[in-house]
Amino acid sequence: MKKIALITLFLTLIANLTFASEVNIFSARHYDSDVQLYEKFTAKTGIKVNVVSGKDKALQKRIVEEGKDCIADLYITADAGRLGSFQAKGMFQKANSTVLKKAIPSNFRSPYWFGIAKRARVIYYNPSRTNPPSNFSYEDLADPKYKGKVVIRKSNNIYNQSLVASLIASNGKKKTAEWAKGLVNNMARKPKGNDRAQILAVAAGEADYAVANTYYIALMLSGKKGPEQQAAAKKVKPFFPNQEGRGTHMNISGGGILKYAPNKENAIKLLEFLLTKEAQQHIVNNTFEYPMIDGVEPNKLIAQFGLVFKQDLKTKVSKYGKNQAEALKIMIEAGWE
Amino acid sequence: MSLLVALPIVTVFFGFFETTSDYFSLLKDTFLLKYIFNSILLLVGVLFLSFFFGVGAAYCVSFYDFPGVNFFKWGLILSFAIPAYIYAYSLTAFFENYGTAFSILTYLFGPYEYNAFIPKLDGLFGSILSISFSLFAYVYVLTRASFYYQSQNLIDVGRNLGLSSKKTFLKIILPSARPAIVVGLSLVSMETLSDFGTVSFFSISTLTTAIYNAWIAFDDLGSANQLSFILLLFILFLIFVENFSRRGAKYHSSSRGGFVNRQKIRLRGIKSFYAIGFCSILFFCSFLFPVFQMIYWTFKFPKYLHDLNFLSIGFNTLLLVFLSCSLMIVFSFISNYGNRVTKSKFLELLTTFSVSGYAIPGVILAVAFITLVSYLDSLVFMNFKTMFIGSVFGLVIVYFVRFFALSSNGIKSGYLKINKSMDESAYLLGYSKFKTFTKVHIPYLRNSVFLISILIAIEIIKELPITLILRPFNFETFATTAYIYASQDLLEAAAAPSLFLTSIASVFILFVSKYILSDN
Repeated sequence: MKKIALITLFLTLIANLTFASEVNIFSARHYDSDVQLYEKFTAKTGIKVNVVSGKDKALQKRIVEEGKDCIADLYITADAGRLGSFQAKGMFQKANSTVLKKAIPSNFRSPYWFGIAKRARVIYYNPSRTNPPSNFSYEDLADPKYKGKVVIRKSNNIYNQSLVASLIASNGKKKTAEWAKGLVNNMARKPKGNDRAQILAVAAGEADYAVANTYYIALMLSGKKGPEQQAAAKKVKPFFPNQEGRGTHMNISGGGILKYAPNKENAIKLLEFLLTKEAQQHIVNNTFEYPMIDGVEPNKLIAQFGLVFKQDLKTKVSKYGKNQAEALKIMIEAGWE
Repeated sequence: MSLLVALPIVTVFFGFFETTSDYFSLLKDTFLLKYIFNSILLLVGVLFLSFFFGVGAAYCVSFYDFPGVNFFKWGLILSFAIPAYIYAYSLTAFFENYGTAFSILTYLFGPYEYNAFIPKLDGLFGSILSISFSLFAYVYVLTRASFYYQSQNLIDVGRNLGLSSKKTFLKIILPSARPAIVVGLSLVSMETLSDFGTVSFFSISTLTTAIYNAWIAFDDLGSANQLSFILLLFILFLIFVENFSRRGAKYHSSSRGGFVNRQKIRLRGIKSFYAIGFCSILFFCSFLFPVFQMIYWTFKFPKYLHDLNFLSIGFNTLLLVFLSCSLMIVFSFISNYGNRVTKSKFLELLTTFSVSGYAIPGVILAVAFITLVSYLDSLVFMNFKTMFIGSVFGLVIVYFVRFFALSSNGIKSGYLKINKSMDESAYLLGYSKFKTFTKVHIPYLRNSVFLISILIAIEIIKELPITLILRPFNFETFATTAYIYASQDLLEAAAAPSLFLTSIASVFILFVSKYILSDN
C-alpha cells in the first residue's frame, strides 16, 4: 500500500507540474484537426499546448469548482449559448486584443469570448421528391401541410436549443411555443440520432425535410464516411431558410479566457493564431465550418451550395445563452422529446 | 471506510431541497412518468435477456458435454470486453440507413434502395440489446461458478427421488444457485440504471437522461438531486430484494463429500445441436458481431489506426487498472472480513449503503466528487483540489466509489461459500482472527479475488464519464479516445481505439480464464 501511495503521489506531482511557456485548454470541441493546429502553434511560438477535452457542462463544472486553483487558461466550445451563459456566471475575463476585434465581426464576439468558426443550421431536402418554396423558413416547418414530413433531433441537443432560442428572440415566447407544438405534430418519427442521421433519413425517403448543421453534408460528401453515405449525400441539398426575412440561423465555435488563467498572454496569442488566414484555412478544410475572417473561402464542398446566402445577423448570438433554458422549457412542454 | 465511499453519494443528496429552476415540476407534469416507465422497461428487458442468456449458457456448459463446449466455456466471457456503448455504435453502424447491412446487400444483390427493408435496431430495443449482450456475462460467470461448486450429492438425491432433469433444474439446481444469480442480476441492474452512454446514444429518455438534462440545460443541481433520489430508491429497493431473497437461507454445502466430481451428460443428436446453436448464436451476437464491425471499419478507414498513439494510451489505461484494482481488493477484504467477525448491524448497513455508488451515474458521481473536494479544500490549508481534481489519484478514488460494489459483492459471495463452522474450527485450533483470515479465508477466496480483479479491470478499461471529467491534461484512455471520435460523429474512427480496448480486455479475460473456469 505504501508503495502504491508513493507511486500515486509521484504521478500526481508529474501531472501537476507546470512549464514556463504553455497554455492549457479545456475543450468541448474535440477535432483531431484542432490538435494539429495546436501543434502548428507550438512549432511557431514554442508555447506548449495542453488539452483536456470532454463534455461541455462537466468541464464548466470543473472550472467553477476548482476556482482559483484551476490551471486552465482557455475554454473552447461549439455553441454561442454556452459561451454566453458561462460569461454570465462571471467565469471569463476580458481580453483586450485589437487583432481579435478586427478579425471577428461584432455579432460573433463579446468582450469576453471570441468566435473561431461559423456554422449554419439549415433545412435539407431531396430535390427529386420535393422542392421548398424560395421563401421557406424555420417557421414554415410547423405548418400543418408538412404533417409527418419533418425530422429533427432531440430537444436536449444544444444546436436545437440555440435555434429555438433565436426564434424566441425574433418571434417571442408565445409564438415560439405554438411553433414548437406544430413542429412536433409534423415530425415523421420520434426524434433520434445525430444531425447526420436526419440527413440520411431524408436521403432514404423517411422524411421530406431535415434540420441539421451545414458541415455534416460536407463530411459525407468528402467520402470520409464511406462511398454509400457519399452517394446518399448527393441525393440531398441544403436549403438556407428565412432568406426573405431575417436570414439563416448562425452559430459559432468559440473560446474565452478564463478568469483565473495563469497564462493569459499565451491564451490570447493562441486565439489570435486561430484567426489567422493559415489556421482558418486549416479549420474550414477539416471541419467544413464557415471561416470567421474575410479573405478565406469555405471548403469547396460547402462553397458549392452558395456563398452569398443571407445570415441572420439581427439576432445576436450572445442572446442564445439567455434564452436557452426558456427554449428547452418550450420544447419539453410541446412534447418534443 | 464505508463512510468514505458513501460521502460523495451523500453530497449528491446534499442539495435535495434546494432548487434553482422549475424543471422538476415541469418534468412532473410532462415526461417524468414516461422517464420512469422507460427506465423500468429498460431494466426489465435487460434483466430478462441477461438471465436467459447467462443462466442458459451456464447451464449448458456446466452440465452437458457437446462439441465445442470447452471453447464456449470461456468464449462466452469475452463479451465482457465490449462496453454497451461500443456495442451500440456497432449496432447503429450495421443497421442504420446506408450502413454496413446496406453495403452487404448492395454487394450481394446489386444497387437498390434497401433501407426500407433493413430493421432499425435502435431506440429502446437497441439499448436493451446492447446492454444485455455486454452485461449477461456477469450472470453467466457467477452462475457457472456456483453450478460448478454445487454438490453432486444434492443432484443425486433429486435423481434418486425420481425427478426428471427438467425438475432437477427447476427444483434443485436453480434454487441453490440463487445467491450467485441474484448477485449477478443486481450488478446488471445497477449498471443498467446508471447507463448513460448507450441510452443517450439511442436518444432514450430515462431517469439518468433526466438527471443529466436537469443539470446540463437548467444548471439545476437541486432537480438533478431530486431525480437522483428517485433513482436511488430504485437501487435501495433492488438491494432490499437481494437481501430479502437470501433471508434465513444458508447456501454453503456441508464440507464432506460436497465437491464430488460431477459427470457431465453427453448430448447427442438434436439436443446437442440445440446446445451448440444456442451457444454459437450467443457468442456470435455478443462478441463476434461487434468485433467484426470494428475490424471492418478499421480496415475500411486505415488512416485512423495510423493516427492512434496506442502506446501512451495503453499505458494510461493499464496504470489506472493496476492502481484501482489493488486498492479495491484490499478494502473489500477488510470490510467483508469486518462484517463476518463483528456481526455489527450498523457495519452491515454501511457496507450495503456504500455499494450503492455503483448505481449512481458516473457523470453525477464525478461532479459530486469535485463538489466534495472543493468543500474540503475550503476547510483545510492543504491544497486538496490540485491533488484530487485532474489527477490520477482522484480518478482512482472515484473509480473506487463507483466499483466498490463489484469487488465487495464478489468477495461477499465468496465468503458465503465458506462455512462459518470453518472459522470456529480455526479458532478452536488456536488460530487468531488474523491467522484465520490469512490461512483460511484467503486461500479459499483466491479464485474469487482473481475473478473480481478481472471484473474491475475490465470495468475500468471501459469506464468513460468519470475518466472524461476528472482526467489530467493530455491524458487519454482507449475509452475517452473512442468517445471523442464518436462524439464528433466519426464512429468509424472510434473503431480502432474500441478494438484496442476490446483486445486488452480480452487478453485480461484469457489470462485468468484458466483460474475462473478451472475444473480442478
